[in-house]
Amino acid sequence: MTSLPKARSRTISRLSMSPLVLAQVYRAFFQISFAIQLQYRASMIIWLLGIILRPVIYLVVWSTVARSTGGSVGGFTPEDFAAYYIIFMVVDHLTFTWIMWEYDYRIRMGDFSVMLLRPIHPVHGDIADNIAYKLLTLVILLPVVALLIWLFTPVFQMEWWAVLTFIPALGLSFLGRFLLGWTLAMLAFWTTRIAALNESFFVLELFFAGRLAPLAIMPVFLQSAANLLPFKWLVAFPVELLQGLLTPREALFGLGMQLFWLGIILVMMRLIWQAGIRRYAAFGG
Amino acid sequence: MPPLAGSMQVLRIIAISLRLSVLVELEYRANFFTQILQSILTLLVSLGGLYIVFTHTETLGGWLPAELVALVGIFTLMGGVIRVVIQPGMQQFMEDVRRGTLDFKLTKPADAQLLVSVQRFQIWQGIDIVIGLIILGVAAVQLGGVVGGWQALGFVIALLSGVAIVYSFWMILACISFWAVKVENILVIFQAMYQAGRWPITIYPLWLRSILTFLVPIAFAVTVPATAFVGRLDWPTLLGAIALAIVLLLAARLIWLVGIRQYSGASA
Amino acid sequence: MSQPVIQLQQLGKHYTIHEREAGTMAAVRSLFKRRQRVVKAVDGIDLTLNPGEVVGFLGANGAGKTTTLKMLSGLLHPTIGQAQVLGFQPWKREREFLANITLVMGQRNQLVWDIPAADSFELNRVIFRIPPRQYRETLDELVELLDLAELIRKPVRNLSLGERMKCEIAGALLHRPQVLFLDEPTLGLDVTAQRRIRRFIAEYNRRHQATVLLTSHYMADVEALCERVVIIDHGKILFDGDLAALVKRFSPHKTITVELAAGRQDLSAYGEVIEVSGAHVSLRVPQAETPEVAGRLLADLPITDLTVADPPIEAIIDEIFIRGASNDFSA
Repeated sequence: MTSLPKARSRTISRLSMSPLVLAQVYRAFFQISFAIQLQYRASMIIWLLGIILRPVIYLVVWSTVARSTGGSVGGFTPEDFAAYYIIFMVVDHLTFTWIMWEYDYRIRMGDFSVMLLRPIHPVHGDIADNIAYKLLTLVILLPVVALLIWLFTPVFQMEWWAVLTFIPALGLSFLGRFLLGWTLAMLAFWTTRIAALNESFFVLELFFAGRLAPLAIMPVFLQSAANLLPFKWLVAFPVELLQGLLTPREALFGLGMQLFWLGIILVMMRLIWQAGIRRYAAFGG
Repeated sequence: MPPLAGSMQVLRIIAISLRLSVLVELEYRANFFTQILQSILTLLVSLGGLYIVFTHTETLGGWLPAELVALVGIFTLMGGVIRVVIQPGMQQFMEDVRRGTLDFKLTKPADAQLLVSVQRFQIWQGIDIVIGLIILGVAAVQLGGVVGGWQALGFVIALLSGVAIVYSFWMILACISFWAVKVENILVIFQAMYQAGRWPITIYPLWLRSILTFLVPIAFAVTVPATAFVGRLDWPTLLGAIALAIVLLLAARLIWLVGIRQYSGASA
Repeated sequence: MSQPVIQLQQLGKHYTIHEREAGTMAAVRSLFKRRQRVVKAVDGIDLTLNPGEVVGFLGANGAGKTTTLKMLSGLLHPTIGQAQVLGFQPWKREREFLANITLVMGQRNQLVWDIPAADSFELNRVIFRIPPRQYRETLDELVELLDLAELIRKPVRNLSLGERMKCEIAGALLHRPQVLFLDEPTLGLDVTAQRRIRRFIAEYNRRHQATVLLTSHYMADVEALCERVVIIDHGKILFDGDLAALVKRFSPHKTITVELAAGRQDLSAYGEVIEVSGAHVSLRVPQAETPEVAGRLLADLPITDLTVADPPIEAIIDEIFIRGASNDFSA
């Protein structure tokens, strides 16, 4: 019996699209995301409240501590804290992701099957959705930043070389945080208790990404732990860079660490994605 | 037919609703463990934050470490109360408006606001209430001193006023769904701002303090009862809390009635 | 003559809705300015029901059936007109009124999802202050009539749609209401479940003389339960009377189906041929001519079987909707 010619097999994970086609696909995704998000503009504004309020709370707490201990804590004056946290807010907003909450819902509702039927990796739609949200909310965020600058009188210490280095650092942060979040989201294939995992993840982020306090003023043992985890490099590093807290050598080292962690995250993501798809298919989706 | 209204009937409705909620929660025993994990995480964040702050200073805004622990206790306790009874009812209410199933509650011969408010108790969230009380106990021991009868009474009144204020606030916000249907996230406002209650609101700049007192009543939910607990509450503030509680309860009732008329398309 | 239990006078409900087109530009424009349109969901209707009547309220989706029911159960304020149910004005939502009516909506549940229906029933027992003995009696009767003994012990989420609906109905009747508003109670159910619920409603009405206003777009519901039918279309009542009168008035045709002994033949000379399958031919014939045409067929052709029937009522209803309120059925 003669064998039939094999149909060209394509694994889902192979991103075999030309850049031009990919750009068009992203444009289509953007249009849909914009339309959906404009519908929920009230929700977007409400979400922004949380994003703005958290750094402001810590800003005030640490400024209060600084004022009651002779004007500064670990070299940070209240104005330094203001600068740090305003930059933190912007960086955090531009690089954060909520994808780990969405996947649990998608898989349970069966929306995920729809995404698998498309000849494109689901991550692209999610990236586009994330960026669309950032673009839309920037319109509101920028005036708020101006307002906060007026209210808290921060002292910025930006050097030109740091600002230039900041841009790629921000990009690497965005990618790293998004893909890390996406990998976490994939755990929804294995458990319905994904909310518990997500919250544990955010607690780690709180302590080790420089959110609760700038890493420089954390207890030493926590600082050492932070060096071993990705959060410092994905969130705190760009903030410290822009605020002029790092030497050029430290900045270079930081970029290197970002690339290092991005590599690890990409590997983890690929492994978990493939295992997840197998599991999803095994359980009938 | 026995009377359909009256305070005994109110208690009966609350009791049966509580019983049904327990039956529902027992179906999902795994939630117990998830809740324990979440409570521990939240506690870690609260106490961890305090710990790190106090490696650098002796007091924060005039509050001693033990007093701030008490604040964390109230924060946890109040959070538990909100998540046990206030939040589930209001979320269910907003979803009912969206799906048209609120109609069922409106065709019953009982006060619909009552039915909506006590319709669901998330029992497992009560773990936070227990943890809050434990923390308050620890703080009380650390603070030492004698607690006078008046102080205890003031604390209880402040706490109850706080609950009433938070309930009314949630009710008013939830009623917005009568006018605008896509507002499920409106209650996220409160949850976002509640985080500010981890710290005494006296440390915030005036504009933020005002927002947290008069716009989103976090101050009355956490700081005021905590101030009462550590024995520093003054009469004007306590009376203000009581007054605000009464005003907001009445406002919530009014807005509910107006909202129901709007829902049923009554001409204004 | 007893007092009517439900009375509507020129009752109407108008809505203002906003419209916009698709596309991103239109979405942004609609942030600033929106087009408005007034929709008359119910456009001034008159209706009277006497105690113990079972009335079917028929109409397409969006015809105004559910809106009318909501106005009668006090959920909606009418825009124009008056209504009285059991002597009360429904939208005042007085306790005495609410304690004597019930509203059941198809595919929408009030039972708590995660626990057995029997537990959910307790909530109604408390709210309606049903005395323990009456509660037992009513529950036993409902369980018997709806065959619920096994079902009410299972969590509602584990029941099929039909079983859930039966439990919903039972829960809605625990307080023995005098007036039942049933909004598409058989929607989405399989044929067996539909039949069971219809039989239940009929039996309940017989036993308790409850007045039932039932909306549906299933003709079968109405044929089984209602002597009286009200047809509503675009917010206006097109017909109010009994089924037989409906058929007679709106269907001036009958269908003659013959089975020919000699195989296929062209019968278009006798009437309009509507269906041919092998030796069976169906003809549409004006009502008045039916006996004559039947006679000619029997005389002219070798026929194994001949039946005369009314067209299916669905077809009649469709005709009514197509021709609208103008009673032009002379063709």
